[in-house]
Amino acid sequence: MKIRILISSAAILLILLAGCNIPGVLPDQVAGLPGVLPSNLRSEHVEMAARSVRAVSVASRPISDSEEYYVGRAVAARILQQYPLFKDSRLTQYVNLVGRTVALNSEKPNTYGGYHFALLNSQEINAFACPGGAVFITLGMLRTVHSEDELAAVLAHEVAHVNFRHGIDSISKSRWTDALAIIGTEAAKTYGSADVARLAGIFEASIDDIFKTLVVNGYSRGQEEEADRASLVYLARAGYNPKSMAGFLERLKASGRGSSGGLLDTHPAASDRLDEVRGSMPDRTVNPLLEQSRTKRFSSTVLF
Amino acid sequence: MGRIAIILAVVFSAGLLHAAEIVRVVTKENAVRQQCRFFSPVKQKVRYNDPLTILSRSGDWYKVSFRGVSGCIHKGAVVAGTYSPGGGLRGGGGASAEEVSLAGKGFNPQVEAAYKGRHPGLNFRDVDLVERFQVSEDALESFLRKGGLTTP
Repeated sequence: MKIRILISSAAILLILLAGCNIPGVLPDQVAGLPGVLPSNLRSEHVEMAARSVRAVSVASRPISDSEEYYVGRAVAARILQQYPLFKDSRLTQYVNLVGRTVALNSEKPNTYGGYHFALLNSQEINAFACPGGAVFITLGMLRTVHSEDELAAVLAHEVAHVNFRHGIDSISKSRWTDALAIIGTEAAKTYGSADVARLAGIFEASIDDIFKTLVVNGYSRGQEEEADRASLVYLARAGYNPKSMAGFLERLKASGRGSSGGLLDTHPAASDRLDEVRGSMPDRTVNPLLEQSRTKRFSSTVLF
Repeated sequence: MGRIAIILAVVFSAGLLHAAEIVRVVTKENAVRQQCRFFSPVKQKVRYNDPLTILSRSGDWYKVSFRGVSGCIHKGAVVAGTYSPGGGLRGGGGASAEEVSLAGKGFNPQVEAAYKGRHPGLNFRDVDLVERFQVSEDALESFLRKGGLTTP
């Protein structure tokens, strides 16, 4: 009898563990089907097996979209402590329109809290993607780009970092493992004060990990190349000229001569990125008149 | 061996016969639209964790129904998972389904509040300002059209 129970449980576990997406089939429903399982295989055995599967799934689950959103908000608050927000509604509107256009053409047009693009009052040439979809671009960067298509290239690169969760990836794995131990598997919505304090500590350390990556060390070379390649696809899908990315990198290379700081310190050399970008350039014909009209609206909006 | 085969066959058959697939909204807010494209008129606003019934699939869009209204939603705005009226979300979507069933757990407003308490100098006020800045769908659609730009 025990063997039959084990075989039946194993069959259900195999189905669950294999990730078979059988909509709506729950272990208790399987157990309730007459003749499907041995009569002495009670629903609690099946439920127990299913609970174990769910616990394994939760214990190794990634950071959810809503959690990523709260992490992103805290990272944004850290950035805004160092770089003041440039509050110009006309420019902010324009940067949001360009940014939303490339985001709509990315793998992930929807995030939990949506995409938000904003300007930082700094002459440093830099841009930051916070987890969840807040993207910052400095006035120094806005001065470096010379057209809407180049601005789109910069923002597309940042949207790619959001899409690929590069910021979240810089959180030490052990921190998230510790967090999951506190979070547990039950769906209670509030914690006791001790648990909150412990989670806040892990949260803070996670924010530090990401902030250090964004502002001090930069992403890995592989992540930067991945973001560059993806941004070319977003640009082409949106109707922007993907070659604008190469144009921007040329300018960045020129700006980098004899200067340092910001993106020039945290990204691979523009010349290396240029080679990679040129090698991945999509074959796309762009209407030059439309590109000119976009450059015209850029010049009439970005007045410096 | 025969018994295992029968069990598997019945389980899979039960899956096929089961009621329509349910997905959950994974963004704070979203919309069920008239047609399966961005900027199509909104028929019904939906919120995080709302259960939508999938009627059909079309590329990156799902045709769904919610509270008697049917329309389209982008597949990236929802996560697979089945819904049991008495027991919440169960099975179907692996970790993704669990993340919805654990809504409110993990890094949440309670944790953010504790973090803010530790760092009163952090500029969350401007973070809220950045999030509140809205671009209307009409403005975005007009911007795309005038610039010769497209959406998928």
